[in-house]
Order: sequence, then C-alpha cells, then structure tokens
Amino acid sequence: MKFAKLIRRNLFRNKLRSFLMIVLMGAIFFLVATLIQILTTFETMGGAPTSDRLVVQSAFSLATMLPYSHEQKLRQVPGVVEVCKSQWLGGYYKERRNTFAILSLDAEKFKTVFPEFTISDDENAAFIRDRQGAIVGDDLMKRFGWKIGDRITLHREIFPFDPEVTIRGVVHHTVMGSVLYLHQDYFNEALKWNRVGTFWVKVKDPNQMAALSQQIDAAFKNSEDPTETFTEKEFNRQFVNMMGNIKVFFGAISFCSIFMIVLLAAITMSMAARERVTEVAVLKAIGFGRGLILGLMLTEFVVTTLMGFVVGVGGAALLYRSIDIAKWTMGFLPNFRLYPSTALICGVAAIAVGLLAGGLPSMKSANLSVVDGLRKVV
Amino acid sequence: MEPLVQIHSVRKVYHRDAFEVPVLNGITLDVPRGDFLALMGPSGSGKTTLLNLIAGIDRPTAGSITVDGREISRFNESALASWRARHVGFIFQLYNLIPVLNAFENVELPLLLTKLSKKERREHVEAALNIVGLGDRMFHYPRQLSGGQEQRVAIARAVVTDPTIIVADEPTGDLDAKNAEETLDLLQQLNIEFEKTIVMVTHDPKAAQHAKHTLHLEKGLLAESAAAQAAEA
Repeated sequence: MKFAKLIRRNLFRNKLRSFLMIVLMGAIFFLVATLIQILTTFETMGGAPTSDRLVVQSAFSLATMLPYSHEQKLRQVPGVVEVCKSQWLGGYYKERRNTFAILSLDAEKFKTVFPEFTISDDENAAFIRDRQGAIVGDDLMKRFGWKIGDRITLHREIFPFDPEVTIRGVVHHTVMGSVLYLHQDYFNEALKWNRVGTFWVKVKDPNQMAALSQQIDAAFKNSEDPTETFTEKEFNRQFVNMMGNIKVFFGAISFCSIFMIVLLAAITMSMAARERVTEVAVLKAIGFGRGLILGLMLTEFVVTTLMGFVVGVGGAALLYRSIDIAKWTMGFLPNFRLYPSTALICGVAAIAVGLLAGGLPSMKSANLSVVDGLRKVV
Repeated sequence: MEPLVQIHSVRKVYHRDAFEVPVLNGITLDVPRGDFLALMGPSGSGKTTLLNLIAGIDRPTAGSITVDGREISRFNESALASWRARHVGFIFQLYNLIPVLNAFENVELPLLLTKLSKKERREHVEAALNIVGLGDRMFHYPRQLSGGQEQRVAIARAVVTDPTIIVADEPTGDLDAKNAEETLDLLQQLNIEFEKTIVMVTHDPKAAQHAKHTLHLEKGLLAESAAAQAAEA
C-alpha cells in the first residue's frame, strides 16, 4: 500500500506517547482478556467430561451434613459400585495465609473412587494403615518443603478440630496439586458427629447416572435427611452458579475497562489529530480527498489499538501458557489457557475501540477546511 | 491566446459568528498562460483569499473562476481535490513539509495520488529535487534542513506533478535575504525555463520584482478598480 509509510511514520511520530499508549492499552487488554477467560472457564467448568461418579449431598444445602447411615442404603442401590464419604474441612498450616484445601475421606476407597489421582501402592497402604495419616498433593509438598513422615498440625477453619497428621504419601493430579487428604474416621473420631457433607458414588454404567440419581433421591425422600444427587458435572456447576454475582462483577469490570480505553484513546487520538491540523490541510491542498484522509487516520488509530491488543492479549497468552494457573489457584481454574475465542473477542474490541475513539478526530480532520487548517499556523 | 486563469466578478464573504466579512468585492482578472504574477497589498486586502480561490482550496461567494478552460468555482469538494492534485502546485510561507517524512518522501506525496509506479515516482522525485538543487539531500528530514532548503523541497513538491499552475503564498516571508533571493530565482527559473504559470502573494516589493507582472489589491479590489471607485465617489 502506497500510504503504509505515511501511516507508519505517523504512528510513531511521538515515540514516548505511542509507547505509553500501547503499553496502557496492552495492560487493559491483558486484564480484559483474563477476566473474559475466567468467565469462559467458569462456564466450561460445568461441562467437564462425564465421569462415572455421582455426588450425593443434603437436599437442604451443601452445608447440611448427611448421616453415615445413608452409606449403607446407597450401597444397596443397584448399579452402585463403591461409596466414599468426603468432607470439606478447610484450614491452614501455621498462618492463615497458608490456607489450602483440606478434605477428609474414606482412605481405603480413595484409589477406587478417584482413580485419576496417582499414588504409589506403598504410600497408599501406609495412609490407609495410619488413622492420623495424610496424603498430600505434590505442589503442597514443594510449597512447604514437607517430606514423607513429617508430622504437622493444621489449624481449624470450619470445624472445632485441629488435625495433627503424619504425611504418609504424595498424591499426583494434573490440577489438584495443592490438596491434603486425611482420614474421615479421624475427623469423625474427633467430633463424634457421624455425619458427612457428601457421598461420592462410583457407578457401574455412566449412561445410567440420571436414573440412578432419581433412584437415590427417591430412596431418601421421606427420611429426615433427604438427598439431592448430582452428576459430578452438575455438582461443579453449582459452584459456578454460586458465582453468579462474580460473573456480573467481572463482566462489569471488563466493560468499564473497555470504556476506559475508549476514553483514553479518544483523548490521545484527539491530541494527535489536533497537532496535525496544518499537515492535514496541506495534504488536502495537494489533493488528498476527504475519504482518503479519513481512511488514513482511522487506519492509524485502529493499528494503534491493535498493537495494544497484541501486547496485552499476546502477553496473556504467553503467560498462561508458561504458568500453570490451575496450580496457583488450587484447581479453581483448571486448564487455564487463553482460548482463541477470547482473543477474537478482544481483537474485535480493539478494532471497535480504534474506530470509536478515532472516529470523531478523524472525521474532524477529514472535514477540515483547507483554508482554516492553514490559517491555524499562519 | 486564451488566458490560463479567468476570474470574473468574484466576491468572497466570510462569516465570522454573526458577522459577515467581505474580503473580495468583485474582482475581474485574467492571468495569461506562462505568466509570473505577483499579488501585493496591505494585510486584509484579500490577496491570499484570491490566491486560495485560484488554487481551488476555497470557493467564491459569487462570480466565476475558470482555470485552463474549466470553471472550478462550480466543482464540488471532491472534484476540486482531484483537480488540485493534477493541476496545482502549492508553496507556503512556512514550507509546511511533513516532519516525519524525509525530503524524498515529502516530494513524493502528491505522486501517491497518481497511478505512477514506484519506479516512475522515484524518477519524478529525483528530477524535481535535482531541479531545486537538493539531489544530495533526498533522505534528509525537514529538521535536518535549513529554512531555504526546506522551501526548495516545498518547491520540488509543488512542481513534481508538472502542475498547470503554481501558487505561492509569501514564499520568502520566513527566509533571510540570501535564501529569499535563491528561492525567487528558482521560481523565476521555473517560469522562464519550464514555462510554469506562477501566482505569488508577497508583501515584499523586491520579491515582486522577480515577477513579470504585479497587481495591487486594496480592500478586496484591484488597485485600479479601487482608484476608479474612489474617483467615482
């Protein structure tokens, strides 16, 4: 394109201003891309592949615990292979800032119900043998410099119970690397409640999960502790739905950020156009038409915002490719990568910002009277 | 031979807020082909306005302007822009080069609007810069040139498309005596050797001496007309 040189030179006419503008836009596009990606990840979290597990919780709420006696009834439902009790404990090590996920579960059923976690047979056996034993995610081991055999005291978060456990094994998982599991029996022995938050039910035929869910809930319908059974996918979606307000909040921040870029870009672009009033008048005098001036300036402004987009979204893509966000967020954002759809949304937003912010100054320049433009200097 | 520029009963009134400011009050003038005309007059006499009308960057309130047989006062803005690109070369008092482009690129600007190939554009630009004696400064930016050199680049930009007419608004107004003289010599050379028609606005009688003819404007009228009007009154 004959005019590419003119556009390129004008882009970097004021190098510091262009640099700061692009960096600023890059930072905002980084933020927007991250927020959009978090929202997208939330949306897709509930869409994980169907597993062969059902989650049984109280029909009243997740915070209401179910009696141990339900386990026996669950085992009697045809198609149920195994049942594992599990309770979210929460807690921290030494200081509150060392908070991480602590769960109690039936140690002897862990490998059967959760086969995607890997642990050596010896370590698993040692865990099963020691009622005050614990198995720990590899990231957590690294974080605190723990070794197998270390005895550690954890501090309560929810229940009146400070577990003292001995690390018996290291558990590996693609995402859940920062979780500590201890015995359900140890937890129950301390509180003597004989109640638990959830039952994780391994089923024989994943295609029968919907029917099994209904069957399970029907079995407890008239009990004092009715249940609500979910597939694992639906169970996860509950958490996403709980974040309804966060989604609105993130959406609002993204919108405000884009709006902020439009305003900042409009100010900068207006300044850039204003500085060039005489030059535009000269270009028009020597025959550059209104449409050509408009096209040149809009192209320049859109290229500026696209450069901000490349810096911000490219930076985010590289960062999330090189850092395992899932581990950093204790599995809260699994497989966190910048999707092409997120980049596309940001790219369209960048073009829109360039057109919106640059539209008015470009039109003013295009419609500038040559005589008025020349008079500004002379 | 038919004059290159025919101006007939041209009036120009500017509107400033609620006021009407008459600048040209019925000018009739012919500029012969190959002429070098200097327009002189006090500030506010309308000489730059007349130049702008001849160059097609402004339109008269009344009257007609014909250049090379085409009545440009009837053209719309788009047609005027393409006409200017083909027929008019501009020289400004403050040179008005684009600071981010070097001499070569500044001179090449009007050629970007033509269908010439890159090679042809380069040949034209080199020829124009050689005419003004800046063949060795092609890749210098305006900030790396003296005022006189900048004005010569502006002259090269004005002639590179081989325009029908060159308009110059105070081309020596911002130059020292030596550079002013060189610039005027260059314009004279363009007029004599290359037979370019030039209309120049100037305050400087010495500059006007380089022109073939000089016309004086007063209060929006040519001096002779103004004198006749005064006598009638």
